Amino acid sequence: MSARGFYELGELEQASPKLFGVPTGTKLDEMFWKLERGEEGRFMRKPLGGIPYLSVINVTGVPDSGKSVLVEQFAIVQANNGYRVLFVTVESPANFLYTSMKTKAEYLGADFSKVTKNIIVIDASVNEEFRENPKALMDTMAYAIKEKQTNSVIIDSVTGLYEHKEIMARQIVRVFFNFLKRWKQTGIFVSQKRSSHDSDSADAAGGLAVAHIVDGTIVLDKKLIRTRWDVNLYKRPLGSVMRTIRIDGCRLTGHDTRPWVFEISPGGTIEILSPLEELI
Amino acid sequence: MSREKGMEVITSPISTTQVDYLAERVFQECIRILGGLRRLALYGKLTWLPSLAEAAYILVLKEELFKTVREIARELGITEQTVRRILRADEEEVRRFIEGEVERVDEHKAGGIAKLAYRRVKKERGLFIREEEMEVLGVDWALRVLVRLRGADFPLSKEDLKKRLEGIRVKGKPIDEIAERMSFPIKSPTEVLRQIEEATR
Repeated sequence: MSARGFYELGELEQASPKLFGVPTGTKLDEMFWKLERGEEGRFMRKPLGGIPYLSVINVTGVPDSGKSVLVEQFAIVQANNGYRVLFVTVESPANFLYTSMKTKAEYLGADFSKVTKNIIVIDASVNEEFRENPKALMDTMAYAIKEKQTNSVIIDSVTGLYEHKEIMARQIVRVFFNFLKRWKQTGIFVSQKRSSHDSDSADAAGGLAVAHIVDGTIVLDKKLIRTRWDVNLYKRPLGSVMRTIRIDGCRLTGHDTRPWVFEISPGGTIEILSPLEELI
Repeated sequence: MSREKGMEVITSPISTTQVDYLAERVFQECIRILGGLRRLALYGKLTWLPSLAEAAYILVLKEELFKTVREIARELGITEQTVRRILRADEEEVRRFIEGEVERVDEHKAGGIAKLAYRRVKKERGLFIREEEMEVLGVDWALRVLVRLRGADFPLSKEDLKKRLEGIRVKGKPIDEIAERMSFPIKSPTEVLRQIEEATR
């Protein structure tokens, strides 16, 4: 903050972050864009190449919709590109995370020795103090960010930090959001949906608090094809699962607003196929 | 810290936040706000101390650890109603009561005082540094000065400063000599330190 307590807009030029993408290794990278003036003077959309740098993005969805798959893939892609990632695992113990990442990395053709070197894990799934004492977790994260020089932070899931006290969701998400901004990290928060009601909305455990605070929300959804109507509409066999991914909003940059159909590959990675409208 | 086949895993907190220490600091600040232990004893108000300690702890648990009312009540073995009353206390009303602007107050007094104290402690909070570490850094004189300035009325005159800091030497220079290079009156302890530092460069 300036000594006067306010800024003239122009003074913020030096401090403002550059707008570019941090790749996720999925088609999401083409779904965020920025506007650039073309040769004829007209504005054109230019894919950002990833989620906006230094943004904090909320990934939400019903159980088993692919949230963790997406963030693990992001971590692997980043680590394989030589960037350090801090992965705070609140749900899955670190040894299970390791197994999951190893399979994905092999499937993606990533150098796993590079991946293991560049991903630092805080295992908050086992140690209760991490989940019950946000300050202790933040101190540890600060240590890891500073000592290991990380560029991105993933918390899977932030819901696990207010599991039995959703009333505190807003406060807890806010302090972690501010923390990532202070430490200049690109962040992804995974947040759970507790009911299938409005499963394609940004609403998650703790209400809309999470979505309001963060810079953007990506919603993952899945639909079981259970009626003849579904079969005809989605052109999928009865009993199959159709998964969709949608950027619900992003205050930092333009983005595709359509739901896209995706699949989870045999190697446990996200493959975004086409916009839902094209399927129908 | 451990390694999961090459992946670095942090399994326990590396924490610098000491909740108990912070609660103690808030408690001490509560006593200071009320004019010190001697004043409390003089007015027969030492029985306030358990309530102030309780309120200080409740506030720190709520603000630092984001505990819910229910969790705090369970942890401290008190009712949720008590926790709520403390957390809802209007500190401005309590401040007006302490300063004699109003004769009575319906708020939870300990809760209001603890809130005022917490705000002050958070505002002043800095790095915790040991006395021997200050010596190593060559700033142990600052601690001695601050200890002598406790309870002083600001703004401070040259005579008051000399009296309070009598016998102290900073970087080998006696305080009388240093005082001659300082401008008075001085508004705060921080200003005293700043001026001494400048006068002894």
